This record gives sequence, C-alpha cells and structure tokens, in this order.
Amino acid sequence: MKSNVKRWKRFKNDMTWYSFIIVSLLVLLIFTYLPTMATVYFSFTNMGTYGTEYKMVGLKNYTVLLGSKSFLNAFKNTILLAVYSLVKIPLGFLLAYAINSLGRTPRQTFFRIMFYIPSIITGVSVILVFQYVLRGNGGLLNNLLSKLLRHEVTTGWLSDPAISHLGVTILNVWMEIGYFMLMCLASLQSIPTEIYDAAVVDGANGLQKMVYITIPQMKSCFSFLLVTCMIGGFARFTDLYIIGGSTTAGRPSGTLQSLLMYIYQYSFESPQYGLSSAGSVILSIITLIFTLVNVKLSGFLKEDNG
Amino acid sequence: MKKKGNISKVLYKQRHHIITTMILAVILAILLLPFYWCLILSFDKTAITDLPDFSLVPHEFSIQNYRYANEMIDLGRYYMNTVMIAFVNTTIAVFFAMMCGYAFAKGNFRGKKFCFFFMLAVMMIPFESRMVPLYLIYRSIGMLNTYVPLMMGSFAYVYGTFFARQNIGAIPDSLRESAKIDGAGEWRIFLRIILPLCKPVISALGILQIVANWNAYLWPMIVIRSKEKQLISVGMAFFNASESSMYYGPRFAVVVLSAFPLVIMYLFLQKYIVQSVALSGVKQ
Repeated sequence: MKSNVKRWKRFKNDMTWYSFIIVSLLVLLIFTYLPTMATVYFSFTNMGTYGTEYKMVGLKNYTVLLGSKSFLNAFKNTILLAVYSLVKIPLGFLLAYAINSLGRTPRQTFFRIMFYIPSIITGVSVILVFQYVLRGNGGLLNNLLSKLLRHEVTTGWLSDPAISHLGVTILNVWMEIGYFMLMCLASLQSIPTEIYDAAVVDGANGLQKMVYITIPQMKSCFSFLLVTCMIGGFARFTDLYIIGGSTTAGRPSGTLQSLLMYIYQYSFESPQYGLSSAGSVILSIITLIFTLVNVKLSGFLKEDNG
Repeated sequence: MKKKGNISKVLYKQRHHIITTMILAVILAILLLPFYWCLILSFDKTAITDLPDFSLVPHEFSIQNYRYANEMIDLGRYYMNTVMIAFVNTTIAVFFAMMCGYAFAKGNFRGKKFCFFFMLAVMMIPFESRMVPLYLIYRSIGMLNTYVPLMMGSFAYVYGTFFARQNIGAIPDSLRESAKIDGAGEWRIFLRIILPLCKPVISALGILQIVANWNAYLWPMIVIRSKEKQLISVGMAFFNASESSMYYGPRFAVVVLSAFPLVIMYLFLQKYIVQSVALSGVKQ
C-alpha cells in the first residue's frame, strides 16, 4: 500500500518534469533525428525526385561522388576556403591585443563596440555591398587602389577565377573579424594579472610576455575558434551562392562551388536525392569529426556527470 | 631619481596608447568604409545608373533611390513578415529553452541524463544533413509555403537549453525550497521565481535569436515559394539577382533599410550583445 503511494508520487514527479521537456524532445525526434536517418537511408538508394520508384544501390552513390570531378572540385574549394578563413584568428587576436592594451578606458569600449558592427549586420546585406566593393569595374576597392597607385586597376576580385578565393576570403574576414576579436578579447581579459606581474619581476619585455604568457594562456580560446571556424567553413553557402548570381554553379568557373552548393544543386535544382543525400552524409561526417574534437577540447559535455 | 623614472614611464605609456589608438582608428575606418560608401551612394542620384567614384558626400544628393527602391521591391511586406517571424520564433525558442534548462538544472527524474544527451547530441548533426527529408516531410503534409517549417525548429533550441541550464543551475536551491513549503508546484516556481531571476540570460538568448532570424537565408529560400510571404534576406537577394544591373542606387537603399534595424538594436543593446557573445561563445 505504502509502496504504491510512493510509486505514484514518483510517477507524478517524473511527469511534472517531463512536462517541461516533452515538446522539445518530440520536435527533435520528429524533425531532427528521423530526417537525419532518412538522409542516411536515401544515400543508399537511387532515388531521383519525390514520388518516383527507387531501389537500394548500396554504396554506388558514394563511389559516383568520389569519382566525380565536380564533387571533388567542390570538396577542394570548401576545404581551401575553410583553411583560408582561419586567418581571422591571428587577425582577431592582434586586434583584441591592441584594444586590450588601452586598458579599461572609454576608448577601449568604443573600439570594442565599433569593431563588432560588421558582425551584427552579417547576412545578405553585407554580401550585396561587397559585390560592389570588390567589383572589377568601378568597385570601391579598385577605385581607391587606382587613386593610390595612380593607374587604372580593374582586378575582378570576385569574377576572376584565379583570385576569386582571395576575394571571398576578404569578404569573410570582413564579416566575422568582429566576432573573433570579441572572443579573443574576452579570453585575454580572463588571464589572471598575477602571471604578468611575476613575469615583470623576472624582467620579461612586452613581446616575451605575449609569446610566453598570453598566447599559451589563450590556447583553449584559439582551439575553440579554430574548430568553429572550420565547421562554419564546411557549411559555407549564402555568400558564394549570391556571388554566383543566385545559382549553385559556383561562378566564376566553378571556383566558388562549395559542398553545400553541390548538395543543394542535386536536391533542388536538378533533383537526385540519392546522390545529394550521399553528399550530405559525407559533409556531416566531416562536421561530426570536428565537433567531436571540439567537445573533447572544450569539455562541453563533461559537466553532464555533475 | 626614482620619481623621474616613473614620469618617463607614464609618458611612454601615454605615447604608446596614442599610437595604438591611431592605428586602431585607421583599421576601423577601413572596416567601416564599405558601409559608409553604401550609405552615401544610397543618397546619390548619379548612382542610379552608374557606380560613381568614391567621395565623402553624395555627388548629387537626393532620395530618388529610396523612391525607386520602394517602387521595385515590397520592402514593407518583407519587413513585416520578418519582424513577425523573428518575434514569434524568439519568444518560442527562448521560453522552451528556459523550460528545458530548468528541468535539466533542477529536476530529478528518471531518464534525465539520457534526455540531456539526446538534446545535446543534436548539435553534432549539421542542419544540412536533414534538409532534403525535412523538405519532403513538409511537402507531403502540404506545409510548404507556410511559416510552419520556419517555426518548428524553435520548439527545441538546444544551445539555449544548454546555457539556460548553466545559469539556472547557479540559482540557490533555498529559493525553491521555501516556495515549495508555501505549496508552490514546479511550474509555479518556474514562472514566478526562476524566469524573473533569469533576465540576463533571457535577453542574451533573445538577442542571439533575433539576429539569427533576421539573417536566415537558406531554409526560408527552400520552403517559402511565394513572393508575398518571403523574408527580408531572401527577398533582398532575389531583388538583387532579378533586376538588371542598372539600378545601383536603389540596391544600396534597400541594403541600408534592411540593415538599419539591426544596427539600431545593437547600439541600444550593445552591452548585452557583447556580453552574450563573449560568454556563450556561440554565434548562429
């Protein structure tokens, strides 16, 4: 009798708590877990478009992709652009270092606020502006360079296949430098000052302090930025898509086609769900590996044991 | 002698600050120059058909570009759609994140660890990996071209849950205990005690959500088909791709109008935004 009451009480307690989380859990199950499993399943079929007959084809989609020049090209572009975009980390660090050296003054606050502005307006507006900033004919950059160098500069930063990677990296750095600065600044300011005091007693100069104290102390910040930067780079889509004239062709000449654009192309432009799903699985596996590294480095799930 | 050394040190430091400030100011000017350019051109009459040389003020000041933009693109409609979606999604996302965060921070129930892991594991699955099946699901239940696909994800805001849990975990249990003695249930405690105490984390998550919704591009482009229902980012990009390359000025006017609300919000709430970004380490 007593144990029944106890059991009822415990059941009621469980139900109360589940009422807080049940909606989120169901949404995740139906709209995240099931579709993800469906993607894996589709990747083993020769599914064309929605509603057509299909059958299992084993690993064929994967072998097709890995033998396809355009897929490998998209793969190469994605990796290269992700690696180039890592330049945001040292640049963000140097900015943060300079801003931090001003001490806690109104000037520091001012720079902190202003440098983050491009990051708050990210998205399509910035991309549209930069299409014209980096334009070969009459763009802002070429315009200023022409005045500076005293001869006409018509470099097509985004239209010349040879340097389009540089062009979109400039765009990416410009859009996200504020975020990297902010993360580095937060990390810089969390370094205990006693360490610096001790170094000063030992006669260390500014550069030595930076190399032997600041940078090692910020290791976890750098690794976090590195991994999130790479993960973001793998999912690169919007800017390249718009620069290519709202197509997934990766103009100019396919040099700006990313993996996600390739997947989008075979999902919505010329649907071959089997193929695009295999592409998604490959992209997901790469992302998963980097996320696991991140979890390991940052101890994100460690607290779970508490 | 010692005093003199100190003075020169202070002077050295001051000079150092001035040089640093000047270098930072130059970099900042370069960084903000494209925005300034865009703003100037949006008021420049000569920019309608041509990209004029850079100048500090418009060559020929007029608001013609804004008039053209207003005729060519239904910006008011996109604004309303986007504000509505951003508001609804942010409210749902933050509220559900707080609910889950509370349960995982203070709850003791069977399966808690599993459920928490079930949620966090989602962060490892990129959205792109479920794009096609999700699209097919909404298509088969006739929900394409509605706002349902854009809202559904808000009911499970995983990052938000994680940070809500951390913050709620820091609230002392004694508050809950005394409320319990007064006969309050968990829901009552959550609504009356926990939520009011969590204003900082609520505002931080809210800001992150608003910015994310304002900038959403890929998913709205896939599921929203009709022009009248489209959101601002996609609408703007469509406009940019469809019009002939003639209308530079109006394009810049559209960019200025669409970026304006976020800049204003940022300047007002910059303290919270800077904190939320630096503390959470997430940007979505």
